[in-house]
Amino acid sequence: MTATLNVLVGLAMGLNLVALGSSRLPGLIRAVALQGAVLGVMPVLMHAMDWRVTLVAIATVAGKGLVIPTLLRRAMRAANIEREIDPFIGFVPSLLLGAGGTIAAVALAQALPLLPEHAGTLLVPGSLASVLTGFVLLIGRTKAISQVCGYLILENGIFLFGLLLIHATPLLVEAGILLDLTVGVFVIGIIVDRIQRAFDTLDTRKLTVLRE
Amino acid sequence: MIVGPCIALAALGLAGGIVGGRRWPRVWLALTLMAATGGLGAALVLLAGGADWVWRSALPVGGEVIHLRLDGVSAVFLALMSVVGGAGAVYSREYWSDREQRRSAGRGRRWWSGLMASMGWVLLSANGLHFLLGWEAFTVCAFFLVTLDGRMKAVRRAGWLYLAASHAGTVCLFAFFALLAHSVGSWELGPMREHVELAPLFWLVLAGFGVKAGLFPLHVWLPSAHANAPSHVSAILSGVAIKMGVYGLVRFSGWLPVPAAAGWVVIVAGMVSAVLGIAFALAQDDLKRLLAYCSVENIGVILIGLGAAMLGAAHGGNGLQWGRLALAGALLHVWNHGAFKALLFFSAGSVLHATGTREMSRLGGLWRAMPWTAGAFALGSVAVAALPPLNGFVSEWLIYLGLFDAVTTQGPAAAVAVPAAIVLGVAGALALATFIKAGTIVFMGAARTRRPAHAHECGVLMRGAMCGLAAICLGLGLAPQLLRPILLRATAAWHPAWGGVDPGAPLVPLGTASLAVAMALAVGVVLVFAHVRRNGLNRSVTWDCGYATPGARMQYTSGSFGDLAARWFRWILRPERRLRRPRGPLPDGAVLVDRHPETMLDRVLRPASTGVLHVSTAVRRLQHGRLQSYIVYLVAGIAVLALMVLLGGSQ
Repeated sequence: MTATLNVLVGLAMGLNLVALGSSRLPGLIRAVALQGAVLGVMPVLMHAMDWRVTLVAIATVAGKGLVIPTLLRRAMRAANIEREIDPFIGFVPSLLLGAGGTIAAVALAQALPLLPEHAGTLLVPGSLASVLTGFVLLIGRTKAISQVCGYLILENGIFLFGLLLIHATPLLVEAGILLDLTVGVFVIGIIVDRIQRAFDTLDTRKLTVLRE
Repeated sequence: MIVGPCIALAALGLAGGIVGGRRWPRVWLALTLMAATGGLGAALVLLAGGADWVWRSALPVGGEVIHLRLDGVSAVFLALMSVVGGAGAVYSREYWSDREQRRSAGRGRRWWSGLMASMGWVLLSANGLHFLLGWEAFTVCAFFLVTLDGRMKAVRRAGWLYLAASHAGTVCLFAFFALLAHSVGSWELGPMREHVELAPLFWLVLAGFGVKAGLFPLHVWLPSAHANAPSHVSAILSGVAIKMGVYGLVRFSGWLPVPAAAGWVVIVAGMVSAVLGIAFALAQDDLKRLLAYCSVENIGVILIGLGAAMLGAAHGGNGLQWGRLALAGALLHVWNHGAFKALLFFSAGSVLHATGTREMSRLGGLWRAMPWTAGAFALGSVAVAALPPLNGFVSEWLIYLGLFDAVTTQGPAAAVAVPAAIVLGVAGALALATFIKAGTIVFMGAARTRRPAHAHECGVLMRGAMCGLAAICLGLGLAPQLLRPILLRATAAWHPAWGGVDPGAPLVPLGTASLAVAMALAVGVVLVFAHVRRNGLNRSVTWDCGYATPGARMQYTSGSFGDLAARWFRWILRPERRLRRPRGPLPDGAVLVDRHPETMLDRVLRPASTGVLHVSTAVRRLQHGRLQSYIVYLVAGIAVLALMVLLGGSQ
């Protein structure tokens, strides 16, 4: 069981690097969606099948793998954004940062005082690596939609960490987080459209006038 | 009881002045004079032996019921406020008339009434919250009066500086009253010497009221505000408004317990203010700025008296005796400085009105055209230099006596009383030099430019206001024994420590001596006149160094006269001098330009505020609106936190 889980976490970590390296928006969204779906399967593998875990898994796969990417694609189409990603930090440096972050995450996880049943899995390093990747995307990309993707990857990292505690977390909290995320992306989709119409750009570097 | 109706009359007059002052100048003048009479009457009745006046209303303002209280200390200041306020109102009817200042005269009358009302409110209110409200209103009224002629940039700058400095002081007062109310549990003010834990609050009192009083390092707003305000406003600012700071210091050093060091700090601050204030005054070329710096000196004199009183009260024993003497001198000097400084500002205003300039090096020979103004200025100069037989001498004499007695008792206070007495003497001598300079440069000699040649004497209202104040200066100087019950009452209200000491006792022989000096002077003047009449006047050229045609430019200038003594204070005056000496046997020209900057403002405050501005601009660069960088801050913060946890965890 742990081996399968580790493979899936490794897959998610690989998808982090794919997200960092993709130069077009659809590719980035696809990577995020796939990562969400992979994450959604994990609870089922980790724990005995009960209705609660199944519900969380189904909701996650549906939300992260289908609903959110659809919303993002629709926003992209509605706002008629150029598909190229305009990086703030180039793709190769981003990848290097991501790779460095992943190594650092593994090293850091070793230093953390974990429970023995979690020590063998890649969950903690995977979660830290995803959070770092999310940050790199947030910092290094200029388009609003690519930043949303960075935010989603960041959230995926938090979700991975949350898996350690899935029995301790009430269902309502899980559902709330998922709902928040979906509504957040939904709202951002609308805002992106508005920003595009009002300012003719989605480059966040140009949206600095309202700082005070 | 007559005090209550008098105060009601004053309040009514001021309220009427605020409402109708804009439209009806005559009505306003009548109402203001009525208010001044009411205030003066209330104060004098109380000082002459009436009981404290306390009035409580059920009407809450800002959640606190109104509580007014007039006692000996506040009555002294109320009397001063009424006199200068009334005289200034008379003066302003001509000086700032509707005909000449169409835009601002009406506005000025309203703010004048407002200023008097708010200062009266501060003096009467016995509630911390209401005190602060009145204090703020008073600051704002004074700001609008200073900037009456807001078309000039210098005036606007002076106004803003005044407002900023005042609010820096008010911050301390907010802290003070809030802490006081917090630890006592109520906003009500009154004697609370038994709360020993309140003693450190005195430092806030000193800073907050010190700014308003113009204590030396905190005086930065004072010269420019006094110089640029209309002269009747300068008179009330210098005569009364800065005394409100003194009032706060006297009031709360009496009502609250003070730290052990307080008396020492106050007396040393007074000494610094006295000497440096008059040193700066001596160096000025601007007549009103000179008077303003002289106010800094006089505040120093008052604080020397107050500091000696605090030392005496702390000392006990015969300290009670000399302390009370010094306090009586300080409170009397509040009156005296108010009277003669208002008189001096009125005559400076008269000069400004007639010639259009305040620069002494453009004036000269004005006494022919303006004999009344020259006489008033001369009288004020004698008073400010503390020469007998005028009032300035009386109050400084009492402070001297207090300091001398402190020296002879050989307590610890003697260590500071000796230098304080010396400083008082030095300041008096420098004040004499300053006013000899100002009086002679402006009124004697020949006109330096064409401006004074067209000067004219001021009209009857301005002259009347000046004569009234001059009469007060003369009266207080010649008959100081009349002040005996007043000083007894006022000092008794400050602190209960005093026993049955009578601080007015030295005034009786002094009155006789003053009368003798005055008589001798009068006899001398009569003899000189008789001599002149008998022998005729013999006019001849002054010693002229062999020049055939001495010109007006060969006279002493204010700079060259003041330089004699200002040289001793170069270290703090920091004069900026540009000098091109005449060269060769046939020199083609020479230049000497002296400028005296505002040292505290230019060399200390401005660099400090520029530094703060630089730092804040640099910090503000972090706030640029770029989302990506904000996230970098976030990540950096988290990384640092994580590092701290890791390092802390490994220990």
